[in-house]
Amino acid sequence: MFKLGNPKNVFWEAFLLAVIVFVFGLFIGTLIEGSRVQEIKSYYENSEISLMDVLALNNVASLENISCGNLIDSNLLFADKIYEESKILDDYDSANKLGEGIDLVHRKYDLLRTLLWIGTLKTQEQCKDDFSIVVYLYQRKNADVSGQATQNVWGKVLQDLKEKKGSEIILIPISVDSNLSSLDSMIAEYNLTDYPVVIINGYVITEVTSVEGLEMYLKKDFLDNNTIYLK
Amino acid sequence: MDLLTIVYLMYSFVSIYFLIFYLLIFIPNRKDMHSSPKITKEYSLSMVICCYNEEDSIGKVIESLLNSSYNNIKKIVVVDDCSKDNSWKVIQEYAKRNKKVLAVQTPKNTGNAAGAKNYGAKFVDTELIGFTDADSYPEKDSISRIIGHFDDAKVGAVTSQVLAENRSKFLEKVQVIEYKMIVFMRKLLSFVDGVYVTPGPLAVYRKDAFDSVNGFDQKNLTEDIEITWHLVEKGYQIRMSANARVFTIVPSKINIWFRQRIRWNIGGMQTIYKYKKHFGTQKAGMLGLFILPFFIFNWLLGLFGISILAYRIARTIFIRYIATTLSIHSQVAVVTFNDISLTPSILVFFGIATIIMNLFLIGLALSYAKEEGKKDRLFNIIFYMFFYLLAYPILLVVSFFKFLTGKTSWMTK
Repeated sequence: MFKLGNPKNVFWEAFLLAVIVFVFGLFIGTLIEGSRVQEIKSYYENSEISLMDVLALNNVASLENISCGNLIDSNLLFADKIYEESKILDDYDSANKLGEGIDLVHRKYDLLRTLLWIGTLKTQEQCKDDFSIVVYLYQRKNADVSGQATQNVWGKVLQDLKEKKGSEIILIPISVDSNLSSLDSMIAEYNLTDYPVVIINGYVITEVTSVEGLEMYLKKDFLDNNTIYLK
Repeated sequence: MDLLTIVYLMYSFVSIYFLIFYLLIFIPNRKDMHSSPKITKEYSLSMVICCYNEEDSIGKVIESLLNSSYNNIKKIVVVDDCSKDNSWKVIQEYAKRNKKVLAVQTPKNTGNAAGAKNYGAKFVDTELIGFTDADSYPEKDSISRIIGHFDDAKVGAVTSQVLAENRSKFLEKVQVIEYKMIVFMRKLLSFVDGVYVTPGPLAVYRKDAFDSVNGFDQKNLTEDIEITWHLVEKGYQIRMSANARVFTIVPSKINIWFRQRIRWNIGGMQTIYKYKKHFGTQKAGMLGLFILPFFIFNWLLGLFGISILAYRIARTIFIRYIATTLSIHSQVAVVTFNDISLTPSILVFFGIATIIMNLFLIGLALSYAKEEGKKDRLFNIIFYMFFYLLAYPILLVVSFFKFLTGKTSWMTK
């Protein structure tokens, strides 16, 4: 392959082989990441259809006598579905390092969740006090170190709350850095500057609190007697 | 793709490159790893041993040279650098009993190994001059296996396989692995004219070549690296005789190990600074084209890598601290299953591939050390690979600081 009198050859041969091995590795990595994006895209397509169905039901409910139970159940089921899918999405997001394809899927899911939020607000107007809407607004990309730690804990608190309350709450986590004008309009009225925040039935909670602390905001009495934003 | 991913991929590429580089050298030369040219001419040789407070080992070193199978050792010059123990008495005893042994004492302590070695070289008038440390024991045939290389007139120096003598403590056992790795890599580099050091435990120089570079640089903490680069600069080639073995005493305490490694690093930095003008140039041959870039590139990678690692560790600790505090306050679990991601990224795959390749290289190196009946424990190998090597960049940072601030006086032996 080379001789002592010509040592330079091995440097270039090694470089060439290293490039080949490295590029092959990148290619395999791209394929793997691509398959993950495809998988999550197929979840999204199904969820998109489910959302259309839920929104259609919401609209029909205002025209005809559709029971609140059916309406709330459909919203709940959809919310739970995309919540589970968002966990997979977050998992793939942290694992995908090469491409940007998953960013687009994130944006699409954030839009789905924004539409769900709008839809559930309408449902809540119609069906009043049968359930609570818990919206968790967080930063997917731009959170600083402290923000990341806080978001990590909020995630666990809300997970525990959901497990405890089950169908009593619709949990909708939405990242605020997806650049969606509909979402920006929704949150504009709350005058939010720092994230993460949790909005329960219109009330903004900015500091991490326990499950029991959050439960307080779910109660009908609380809704009736309090009209200011609480921190 | 974020910056950190690019950095990780860059490190992966560099690892892959060097692993392939070493394999490409090894594969065609594997049968020559332990071969040495036969002796066609018995060059006259004088050995110089420098001693400072080595009363326990100096006698054994002298004896190992007296027992050498090489027939043309004219003189064994033992230089006592004004030891404060009984080294000088021991040396004088050997000189009395054996005419080959010449006992000399420096007029005053030179303060460094280079000074004592240069003093001993004054008493040498043979074709070849060899040096052994006062705590290093060459095997009987080591010198014989070195001599044949000097038939090539371009060869200015030949180095040997340095192995650890003491192996009872854990730190010593890990250094055994380290030394075997170094020997393997150095032998491979010798095939591409890339040997960058002729270590003190056993090295032989052509006397003309030695004189042409005025011996060792007394201002340098690693005179063995400096003289090698000086010889390469002059156009000489450096060979390695992997089957010429010498056993040296390695540090058994962490503080002594630390000081030794800092000294090696500072000496390397001094040498880089001295020869910096040759970086990337063809004029000084492999010194400019390979040795200097190799050293500097490895150090930059190490410094940058430890910075990234320190940043990542600090960041993770900070996030975990805040998250733990908030979790306790909010009465939720500190760690949940969701915190553990089981979806590997491409960086994990590259990392695993790099680890496997490195393990393969380490296995190859250890198998080529050829120490019958002496096997290295897997735990020691894993410790060497995942923990011991992490010390290198840390040592580099400390050494760099000391080099820049000129704090080197306490580093001399």
